Amino acid sequence: MNDAPPAHAPPRLVGERVPPRLVGERVPLIDGVEKVSGAAKYTADFTHADALVGRIWRSPYSHADILDVDVSEARALPGVVAVLTGDDCDVPFGILPIAQNEYPLARQRVRYRGDPVAAVAAVDEATAERALSLIRMRVTPLPAYCDPKSARAPGAVPLHENRPGNLERDVHHQFGDVDAGFAAADIIVERSYACAEVTHVQMEPDASLAAYDAERDRITLHTVSQVPYYVHLKVAQCLGMDTSQIRVVKPFIGGGFGHRTETLNFEIIACLLARAARGRVRLKLSREETMITHRGRPRTDVTVKVGVTRDGKITACTCETVQAGGAYGGYGIVTVLYAGSLLNAIYDIPAVRYDGYRIYTNTPPCGAMRGHGSVNVRYAFESLLDEIAREIQTDPIELRRRNLLRAPLRTINDLMVESYGLPACLDYVEQASGWRERRGRLPKGKGLGIACSHYVSGAAKPVHWTGEPHAVVNLKLDFDGGITLLTGAADIGQGSSTILAQIVGDVLGLDLSRLTVVANDSRITPKDNGSYSSRVTFMVGNAALEAAKNLKTLLVAAAARKLEAQPGDIECLGEVYRVRGSQDPGLPFGAVVKEALAESGTITVKGTFMVPRKYQGGSYRGAAVGPSMAYSYAAAVAEVTIDEDSGRVTVDKVWAAHDCGYALNPLSVEGQVQGAVWMGLGQALSEEIRYHDGLPVAANMIDYRVPTIVESPDIEVKIVESVDPNGPFGAKEASEGALASVIPAVANAVYDAIGIRLRETPMTPDRVLAAIERHERAQRRNRPGRAA
Amino acid sequence: MEFMPEFRVLRPASVEDAVAARRDDPDACLLAGGTDLVPNIRRGIVAPRTIVDVSEVAEMRDIRERDGEVRIGASVTLAELIEHPIIRQRFSVLVQAASEVAASSHRQVATVGGNLCLDTRCVYYNQSEWWRRSNDYCFKHQGEICHVAPKTVACFAAYSGDLAPAFIVLDGAVEVAGPDGNRVMPLPEMYRDDGRDHLRLGPGEMVVAVRVPAADSWHCGYVKARVRSAIDFPLAGVAAAVKLQAGSLAGLRVALTGTNAMPLLLQGTEDLVGAPLDDDAIDRLVALIPKQIQPMTSTVTPPGYRRRVVANMTRTLLRRLSAEARR
Repeated sequence: MNDAPPAHAPPRLVGERVPPRLVGERVPLIDGVEKVSGAAKYTADFTHADALVGRIWRSPYSHADILDVDVSEARALPGVVAVLTGDDCDVPFGILPIAQNEYPLARQRVRYRGDPVAAVAAVDEATAERALSLIRMRVTPLPAYCDPKSARAPGAVPLHENRPGNLERDVHHQFGDVDAGFAAADIIVERSYACAEVTHVQMEPDASLAAYDAERDRITLHTVSQVPYYVHLKVAQCLGMDTSQIRVVKPFIGGGFGHRTETLNFEIIACLLARAARGRVRLKLSREETMITHRGRPRTDVTVKVGVTRDGKITACTCETVQAGGAYGGYGIVTVLYAGSLLNAIYDIPAVRYDGYRIYTNTPPCGAMRGHGSVNVRYAFESLLDEIAREIQTDPIELRRRNLLRAPLRTINDLMVESYGLPACLDYVEQASGWRERRGRLPKGKGLGIACSHYVSGAAKPVHWTGEPHAVVNLKLDFDGGITLLTGAADIGQGSSTILAQIVGDVLGLDLSRLTVVANDSRITPKDNGSYSSRVTFMVGNAALEAAKNLKTLLVAAAARKLEAQPGDIECLGEVYRVRGSQDPGLPFGAVVKEALAESGTITVKGTFMVPRKYQGGSYRGAAVGPSMAYSYAAAVAEVTIDEDSGRVTVDKVWAAHDCGYALNPLSVEGQVQGAVWMGLGQALSEEIRYHDGLPVAANMIDYRVPTIVESPDIEVKIVESVDPNGPFGAKEASEGALASVIPAVANAVYDAIGIRLRETPMTPDRVLAAIERHERAQRRNRPGRAA
Repeated sequence: MEFMPEFRVLRPASVEDAVAARRDDPDACLLAGGTDLVPNIRRGIVAPRTIVDVSEVAEMRDIRERDGEVRIGASVTLAELIEHPIIRQRFSVLVQAASEVAASSHRQVATVGGNLCLDTRCVYYNQSEWWRRSNDYCFKHQGEICHVAPKTVACFAAYSGDLAPAFIVLDGAVEVAGPDGNRVMPLPEMYRDDGRDHLRLGPGEMVVAVRVPAADSWHCGYVKARVRSAIDFPLAGVAAAVKLQAGSLAGLRVALTGTNAMPLLLQGTEDLVGAPLDDDAIDRLVALIPKQIQPMTSTVTPPGYRRRVVANMTRTLLRRLSAEARR
């Protein structure tokens, strides 16, 4: 990284033809100074002397019908300003319009331990705590189901009406002729894999600050969301208020990873409390509560079957997944659909059948998590490819090469792939890891493993279909010569505000010093669907690109007027506009702005972005999930060491190549890929949510074992640039796609090291040691003449 | 983190004042680094009205040497212990064990006394008030059941300190001060195998220092099983001290942590003394372990694993020490 060019290249001299570039540069995040200096204000940092303390009383039961919730003593406690129960809001919510089955506070039934039942606003923490201890709930307990098997058993009580067998959604998709595909195969291998439930563990616990203006019946909500627009809609819906009376502000956010891609119960509860208390309420959740609010990756059982010809060409694939979705809908339907649709668009598979089952269970709701829907299936598929490679005695990289796509193409399930850097990703990790020379020649207990993955660059169909553009960016240029970029895109730490500023600055040839990004205040910024499905760089980036071009057109026209030339003859050099080819010193930017404003006053331009119909997928049921204008691709090689005493897997090194189309900011891309690798390692090796009768035993950062920096291996990131025809400057997503390959790369490396196939994540020391012992016992049994 | 209730903090300047402060309020909690106590307060496991902060009591703050014996104040932080020249030079097993505790930021404040007196831990106990209430509490706190072993009347919360086994194999002793005066006892005697009440300290008694005799002719080591290389408490830990004379074992001490409600000095090792420390002797030693330990489902990692790993680690550690001693 030492040879990186300076982030702020000095403005080029007027004689040079090219204005300074901002895209493609290693620009530090524009809000980095605030973050590292502690000046950045996160939701919980907003302290107001008049803010009441909000707290939530949560169900101690996994599944029960509520007889009554007695809050009379809590209400009577001096210092308590408001106490609410399910009686105070009878409007259900849910991120998907077709699965709105959650109330902010439970009504009639509680469905998991931790389900919010009542909420308190009090003058201080001690009073709020005391009030919680005075709340009583009487219930009729119901049988609780913490796993899909019991939830699906005959006679199981449905968690929700009209959902017999607790089946939230089953998906049965078939594309191509699967039977013919298997008939053409020389070898068919089928295996089952199990992935534990995992959660995001974003740095910042949940928090909302809601202020109710009693004079005007308005609410201002500061909250930790990735999707302030959806929060806005659901708050209005549940409070029965007009959307114009609500303002949602997103302060600095300490990560999301999908935890915050839907409106969460506490955000609505904070608003309900504020209105009931006719004031301001600060609701901060503990780490445990945040991990109960959850919405992470569900426990998933995957069975994959793949047929290949003797020379390694995949002929067909079937896949069945069962997901333990938790107690409410959330994004569940999307998760189970992604798991199927993204079997495609990575390899050339002529026939695919997918059967997916999303099951309601009496556990905290699962939802979207980095690599949403694709990760567990990818782990299973890439592990199976490794098994097949051994079966047909082919190098696993070579096997993948034999099944690459040839872009552009439309997949059998109607996904459009127009840029495809996977071949280059494979080449890089093969070469950089010394794969050919080192694999199979490492000392005992060491191994190398390879896997690939991909992900969407923005869901082509938004969650709420309105017909509006997918993204809108406004640029304001005023007398001061500063440009304000207004966006609703939520920078949650991933750096989206920086990317948008780079795009605008680059088009206008301006240094970042002229740019200010204002993100996420619904009173000020244009609506944005939010930071999910890796849509912001691609979609909002394209809108920013268009807005910048529109502004440039106005500035060029103004310069042409002043210079008495045709706009087509004007050359924009950023700080200077001049007639192309002339020896004139040209007009400084300030003079151009003055001329432009003389015509119209303060300039506000807009850029929009819309995904064309042909990218929006097929017309079959469920076709809306999976389509994207572009897909990122990744390959990873992991090198591991296994300690046979303890069963511990140490990842020594990861080579990760990621095709992000074009790196608008290589520094940022590298950081995102490193983060994805790290998160993948957590799921691969140590992270796991477990329940004791529905109580999460690891809802804290000691027992939920996120890898620490000590576990972080050396990660070598290679950026592959396939230059997508539709991405801004060719860019695609850079954060989600690399995660899924890491888990199977580690599993495959473990096999390479010790000859044992682990088909369950996380590969914790106890599982590894047990597998080693099982393997040794089996070997002893199979060794003739060695009977005890 | 959860709600922190109000309490009074006393900062005595001497051991006498600290003992006096606790005589006045028998429920007062001792605070040094707070890495164990503060999370427990926030979880509602302890609700002290008074906290006696001993982090600045001078006679508990230093490391002194006299006639080969080293006295380590209970309020010495783990980082100070690790960095101390005498400890680095002569008691590397303490450096090893202390370096394995939590993470570097914890070690800046966590203390020797705090680690030795660490509360026992259990997944059914180290949880929030809401969590424990929803689970009907347990023997260790407010409840009438052990969720680890519902048919028993015992508490199987595990002792999880890393320093104790290292001090035990060094034949360490603790100085204890209390309302009835001071006493010194061998470290193993400070513990009992009861997760509810694992410290044999009388009302108002406190650990002031640890004394360690010279161990120059011993070869010692500590290894710890855990999932992550930082943060995690031991799933199991083993310390061993080996002394060889003319190729034969002249002394052998093995101590375990994480397997029971107390750190355990392995019994029966004296039978091996006099024989060479070869694979056969190590196998015999490892065979002593299963009968003496009792790991239960007090962590998210299954007890069967902890049994296996403690045997494997012990074997590897002893092979290493044997090789070292012969060098």
